[in-house]
Amino acid sequence: MEPAIRLRGLHKRFGDTVAVADLDLDIAAGEFFSMLGPSGSGKTTVLRVIAGFEQPTAGTVELFGKDVTALAPFARPVNTVFQDYALFPHLSVIANVEYGLRVAGVGRRERRAQAEEALASVRLAGLEDRRPHELSGGQRQRVALARAVVLRPQALLLDEPLGALDLKLREQMQVELKELQRSLGITFIFVTHDQDEALTLSDRVAVFDAGRVVQLGTPREVYDHPRNPFIASFVGSSTLLEPAIAEAFGLPAVATAVRPERVTLDAPAGGVRGTIAEVIYTGPEHRIVVDLEGLGTRITALEPNMGAAHERRRGDAVTVAIDPAGAAALESEAPAA
Amino acid sequence: MTATRVSTYLAPRRRLRLAGLLTAPVLWLGLVYVVALAALLITAFWTVDAFTGQVRVEWTTENIVEVLTEALYRTVTLRTLGIAALVTVLDIIVAVPVAFFMAKIARPRMRHLLVIAMLAPLWASYLVKVYAWRALLSGNGLIEWAVAPFGGETPGYGIVGVVLTLSYLWLPYVVMPIYAGFDRVPDRLLEASADLGGRGWRTLTAVVLPMIRPAIIAGSIFAFSLSLGDYITTTIVGGSTQMLGTLVYDNVGSANNLPLAAAISLIPIGIILVYLAAVRRTGALRSL
Repeated sequence: MEPAIRLRGLHKRFGDTVAVADLDLDIAAGEFFSMLGPSGSGKTTVLRVIAGFEQPTAGTVELFGKDVTALAPFARPVNTVFQDYALFPHLSVIANVEYGLRVAGVGRRERRAQAEEALASVRLAGLEDRRPHELSGGQRQRVALARAVVLRPQALLLDEPLGALDLKLREQMQVELKELQRSLGITFIFVTHDQDEALTLSDRVAVFDAGRVVQLGTPREVYDHPRNPFIASFVGSSTLLEPAIAEAFGLPAVATAVRPERVTLDAPAGGVRGTIAEVIYTGPEHRIVVDLEGLGTRITALEPNMGAAHERRRGDAVTVAIDPAGAAALESEAPAA
Repeated sequence: MTATRVSTYLAPRRRLRLAGLLTAPVLWLGLVYVVALAALLITAFWTVDAFTGQVRVEWTTENIVEVLTEALYRTVTLRTLGIAALVTVLDIIVAVPVAFFMAKIARPRMRHLLVIAMLAPLWASYLVKVYAWRALLSGNGLIEWAVAPFGGETPGYGIVGVVLTLSYLWLPYVVMPIYAGFDRVPDRLLEASADLGGRGWRTLTAVVLPMIRPAIIAGSIFAFSLSLGDYITTTIVGGSTQMLGTLVYDNVGSANNLPLAAAISLIPIGIILVYLAAVRRTGALRSL
């Protein structure tokens, strides 16, 4: 099937700064696709190029088989949810949602009905006549969503839409976003620097670093098999092991990343001996840092909180083992720059 | 040490601090401004001794009645209103694109240069600028030289000259609030409008103009009220054109009739009060 969005040789420079370097990307129709990366990694620029707010320095943007590189934003079948929502302050909630329909020449009664339906779909019915400044952050977020989806875009572009919300609201909106995407059945392209959000929501994740996609895959592929040290530490947390250390654990002698939850302490089969250097209580679990004996390095393990009676103490001697299936061999060299 | 002691003494005494802060400005506003206006109002009800030319404190509504009934004052009032309105409209037409360019298109360096270019003429003397326009408009001036090859000629000294000169004089006062208004419209909103299908014209009329409307009205208050009271420009480039300002000037000076001058000057005051009351509800006064 033809991809919803196809980027070829996309390159974007701002002055001397390369924001996006020779990017090729295919995003399937109906996919929840995340672009994950630290700030300045180029993910937002890619989104803005797809929306048409930025012209690429080189390369093409195809939407549903049509080259739209030269088209203005208003001529593209995609809509955007902005990071700061960008609601029109002089218009009421309903007028904000109706804006795109009014531009498209939809009749008064019809657009009112569609806007009300869109507001109901984001659970905002009853606030039609408020002004944006009278709404909470979460409500503004929903208005921005309704304003974009009411036009039934073929793809929805979301630029860190949950960044300004507090944790509880963010988790709730994550669920709602996922449900909305499922019910609309359209492509969502989601930009975020929050790895948790990207893993939770996405069908596929592209990890950005310095203007390039350094890894592309399902959340499980990216989390379980990070390709390089940057991904291993940016997506979740990992202990990075030198080849010699990996060998000491019975793993292949290459640079390896190990997730703390795949590290076992006091395994029956034994392992590398060490001393507990730090026990960090996080509520549901303990994060335990172990000094490895004779190897001059540390490793972090995660154990569920089984109550005070089972709590480990600093200075306790332990043996450390790594589940070989949970160790990711890393590409030693950095990706070609 | 003393400064600390004063601060310690004042810190809990809120009313005293407020009094210290407000006494001088309240005196200024109260005495110099309100009293002067009140004096003007009262003078309009006095009269002039036809024989000695001295102002006589003798209560009469004669001046007010004369101003309200004489055809001359009605004509001049309408002309002044027309000129002020025309100047305001011209300034807005020029200021909106200029301010838009300054706020949204120019890079920071260019923007600073333009702000300076807009404000620099305010340092120059008003008289110098008006005389410069007198030279421009004269029969062998720059305008004549520029349009003569196309069969045109300079408008010379008259209403057109007054409108052109006043528009030039008040332009910075109109550009600056509108520039600030554009500056307050986030680029994101323009992008959002485009994203939702709005082309340039739609974005301008449905998003930008409603948002900068208070700023435009704020600018219009300056251009309108400054034009309404002007008499120097009219005298220098207006030829025989009379405006309310020149009538006031003539009555204070050559006609030596201060009470009548005061009565005439109540007209622009009345007009501007009506204008301010009309725009009060648009929020424009908050963007001044």
